Amino acid sequence: MAKTILEVRELTTKYVTRFREDVYAVDHVSLSIEEGKSLGIAGESGCGKSTLALSLMGYYFPPLHYMSGDSIVDGKNLSGMSPDDVRKNVLGSDVAYIPQAAMNALNPIRKIGAFIEDVIRAHDPARSRQDIRDMARKRFEELHLPQEALDKHAVELSGGMKQRVVIAVSTILSPKVLIADEPSSALDVTSQKVVIRMLKEMMEKGFIKSMIFITHELPLLYNVTDDIMVMYAGQIVERGSAKEMVFDPVHPYSRGLMRSILVPEDGTRANKLIAIPGTPPNLKKPPAGCRFAPRCRYAMPECQFNAYPIRDFAPGRSWRCARTPEHLKEVYAREDG
Amino acid sequence: MKNTIRQIFHSSKFVAGFVIFVAILLFILLYPLFQPGNPLEMIGVGTFAEPGTYVSLYDSVTAPSETLNLPDAASNRLASVLKEEDRAKMAEYLVAVGVPSEEIDVADTEALLALWEKHYDETARPAGMTKATRNYYKRLNQSLNSMGSGSELSVVEQGEGGEASTIATIGSSDYVNVRKVPNRKTLLLGTDNFGRDVLKELASAAGTSVVIGLIAGTVATLIGLLLGLLSGYLGGFVDDIIMFFTNIFTVIPSFVLLILISYSIGQDQRGAGVVALVIGLTSWTWTTRSVRSQVISLRNRDHVNLSRLSGHGLFRILMTDILPYIASYVVMAFILQVSSGILAEAQLSLLGLGPKTTEVPTLGLMMNWAMLYSAHLNGSWWAYFPVILMITLISFSLNLMNTGLDQVFNPTLRD
Amino acid sequence: MKGYWKYFRKKIIWFLITFVAAVLLNFVLPRLMPNDPVAAITGKMAQGMTDATASQRIYEQYAEEFGTNKPMIEQFFIFVKNLFRGDLGTSFSQYPRKVSDIIASSIWWTIALQLPAIIVGWLIGNVLGALAAYVRKGFDKVLLPLSIFISNIPAFGMAVIMLVLFAVRLKVAPTSGGYNYDMIPNFSWKFVQSVIAHYQLPFWSIVLVSIGGQAIGMRSMSIYELNADYVKYARFLGIRDSKIVGYVFRNAMLPQITGLAMSIGTMVGGALVAEIIFSYPGLGSTMLSAISGGDYPLISATTLIITLMVLVISFLLDIIYGFIDPRVKAAQFD
Repeated sequence: MAKTILEVRELTTKYVTRFREDVYAVDHVSLSIEEGKSLGIAGESGCGKSTLALSLMGYYFPPLHYMSGDSIVDGKNLSGMSPDDVRKNVLGSDVAYIPQAAMNALNPIRKIGAFIEDVIRAHDPARSRQDIRDMARKRFEELHLPQEALDKHAVELSGGMKQRVVIAVSTILSPKVLIADEPSSALDVTSQKVVIRMLKEMMEKGFIKSMIFITHELPLLYNVTDDIMVMYAGQIVERGSAKEMVFDPVHPYSRGLMRSILVPEDGTRANKLIAIPGTPPNLKKPPAGCRFAPRCRYAMPECQFNAYPIRDFAPGRSWRCARTPEHLKEVYAREDG
Repeated sequence: MKNTIRQIFHSSKFVAGFVIFVAILLFILLYPLFQPGNPLEMIGVGTFAEPGTYVSLYDSVTAPSETLNLPDAASNRLASVLKEEDRAKMAEYLVAVGVPSEEIDVADTEALLALWEKHYDETARPAGMTKATRNYYKRLNQSLNSMGSGSELSVVEQGEGGEASTIATIGSSDYVNVRKVPNRKTLLLGTDNFGRDVLKELASAAGTSVVIGLIAGTVATLIGLLLGLLSGYLGGFVDDIIMFFTNIFTVIPSFVLLILISYSIGQDQRGAGVVALVIGLTSWTWTTRSVRSQVISLRNRDHVNLSRLSGHGLFRILMTDILPYIASYVVMAFILQVSSGILAEAQLSLLGLGPKTTEVPTLGLMMNWAMLYSAHLNGSWWAYFPVILMITLISFSLNLMNTGLDQVFNPTLRD
Repeated sequence: MKGYWKYFRKKIIWFLITFVAAVLLNFVLPRLMPNDPVAAITGKMAQGMTDATASQRIYEQYAEEFGTNKPMIEQFFIFVKNLFRGDLGTSFSQYPRKVSDIIASSIWWTIALQLPAIIVGWLIGNVLGALAAYVRKGFDKVLLPLSIFISNIPAFGMAVIMLVLFAVRLKVAPTSGGYNYDMIPNFSWKFVQSVIAHYQLPFWSIVLVSIGGQAIGMRSMSIYELNADYVKYARFLGIRDSKIVGYVFRNAMLPQITGLAMSIGTMVGGALVAEIIFSYPGLGSTMLSAISGGDYPLISATTLIITLMVLVISFLLDIIYGFIDPRVKAAQFD
């Protein structure tokens, strides 16, 4: 059995707004990733994907606050650590993050090489400059990036190159977990593919031990990650292998998410483009029952009042719904028929 | 719109600035109602009368008097007459005859005089003291004695035939009720070098300066707005031309142009309005720049494109599709222009290029005259300090409003 | 380096254009006015109304030097030719001194006073502004309004307040001039001491006035930069706050340099008036005496020199900016 790299147990975190209201953006989330595996997290904007990423890294910066649960990276529990400790000993070295806006992630007036130096020195102040240089050069070469980029500023690089450089910089210390937060959403299709190929290659070469890939486009995750998890309103609604989740989503929300996006990938069915009606709930006052119930076409009256726990319904698959998978599959078949 | 205004009035900085500015406006508008008359009227003959209440000496002689025996009257009188250099000299003498210097307090008149009475000896010859100095002390001692004696003064009226007749004798314990003196004048800020009432002049000058600021601000904003709109919206050649001139006038300091133009216009032609106009004509570049950059960001918005496709004319697009979106920036630019216009007038006046002095007072002119008559060197703070404070407060209130608006419209700056 | 040369060339061309424009304006503006001082001078001469032969001689000399009786275009060329020879005419009020002499004796006072004062004020202001952005809480409530207040005290007002406080009341500094009035400029230690003593008040009042505005600008810039994506990213990689503050400070400084280049004219204007308050022997006082003496050649020359100084400083700032901001280099290839 492979070693578990990341284990998250019942993690709950909240935002405190300017008006001192609590917003529970991550609500009792549990997940685990084994060495060499990758997990995709999908959901609409504001469903708590990015917050989950920050929370499991232990990156608590106001207005984000830790409430309860654990986040364990390779045996180290981040939830009990002080922010300074997390900053010094976890971020960048154990867990690396590629932010959404990778285009502007690089300091405009610092050369890439100098920035890499800053990153490494933050965790290992004693490292010599030459040592760092050599290491950066070697890594760039292995990732097929031009070494000249080290002596350039971000403005001198093209968009796709900037993105790849950011990925290379983020993983320079070979972190155990890489969290890629929509790393490709601002890129054209060709660059997207390059980025995804690069992430996969890094997994193969062992530069990263596991990966979490966050996106609002569920179908994009197929061929990228091993497993997929769909989030809605701060909670997990369905989880399964990438193939099952893309071709056979069962939860009404996962299915809606799958059908609301048109991606010209091989193998995805040419479905009608159907938007999910309504908007995600206001997490200051989440619905009392199933959080998706107000937008769910298949909701029963009791769904508005009863909250359902997440449960397994097949090997490696779990979901959060009052119905049975068989029943819903039948309904879907009838509708498509 | 209503919501925006409510939001603006929630910004504490804007409200603070607004309150100060309104208070200044009220002072400008209301003070002349209580104190009517020409602010340039020279009521004083001398220069820089100190602030305070002036009671007619002539009237008080004939006003009914009361005798009040107040215990510290004599020493108060001495204290007010005894000059600072005399006190210092007395201390010097006391030290010379062996009084420890820490026992001497020149500010405490009574203690000083007591020491003096105890230790002064006309016949003593302290070591190293010249005859001239000894004579000085002799005279000082005599005048101290006579002041304390409480001798009576006689008021003599010169009759028509030239004969003098005593009409009143004033004892040291005679008092007049201020209300019984028919002529008195309170000058809260004294008079200036021309003998004008500074407070009255200040109200009038602040008004003129605000008007100058408003005219200059309006002229600069209109020019800047027009050029910025055209340059930003039309782009291309028009943009190049307008920006060429804007850039030139940004680097060439506007106050240099201001000096050249003002000097050339000549003292006789320079009314407050002309000065304001010239200031406005030399300070539009900032507004042009900021309006232009705002318009460029709006130029390709959907609603503007739609309007263009519907065949609306240039004027209509600028007025209905662009102007409303940049209105907040224009207002902010206008506020800053007003405040820098007021400052520009003051600086010009200090160079002797301000408006004609005989027509209206301005804050700059008041400052200029105070400086020319060395008010700052001879201690007449009332002639210049209120002016500086007024300019600072006007400018401060306008900038505070501007900062408040900025925080409302640029949320990242909010606290 | 290639991109930088392109930028450099552009800036030089722009500097030349503004210089020509400044000279042109300096020549044309007075002549466009209804009460043209140049015409007034020649008019007076033609009417022969001057009683003293001395002033008659000045006017004649002026008319000859600048050809004021010739057509405008020709006058302009004479003006430019004289300018390039460094001949700015003869002063009316200090006849027969050459204007260039008078300027030469006052310009160094102004440069030595204002340049360091503005730079020091700018530096202190930026450091305070960055600190304010970083600390935020207490600053915004109390110190921000206070620094807005101080920055709104006009330069001359600050000069008067400093003068009254330190020279008249506390008597720790002299009230006026650039050195003791009974001294003759030389390089003795005593003279230098006197110069330093006279330098303090004008220097600090200019510094104080410039701090406030710079601090406020830097504060907004830094707050903007603190929210930038690169700051968040650096944090995600575990980089310490002290390092990140350095990033933010340098990034926020850049617009402040451009800001300084654009506002240097206004600052110099205020500082010149402050010079007048202290009767500092610089260009400000020269200008004041020229204006009160109706000395047109001197006014014209002073304004031109001040413009030139401002142009050179903003040009230099542009050049420095090009060196430190890599975006400038990259932008040249677009």
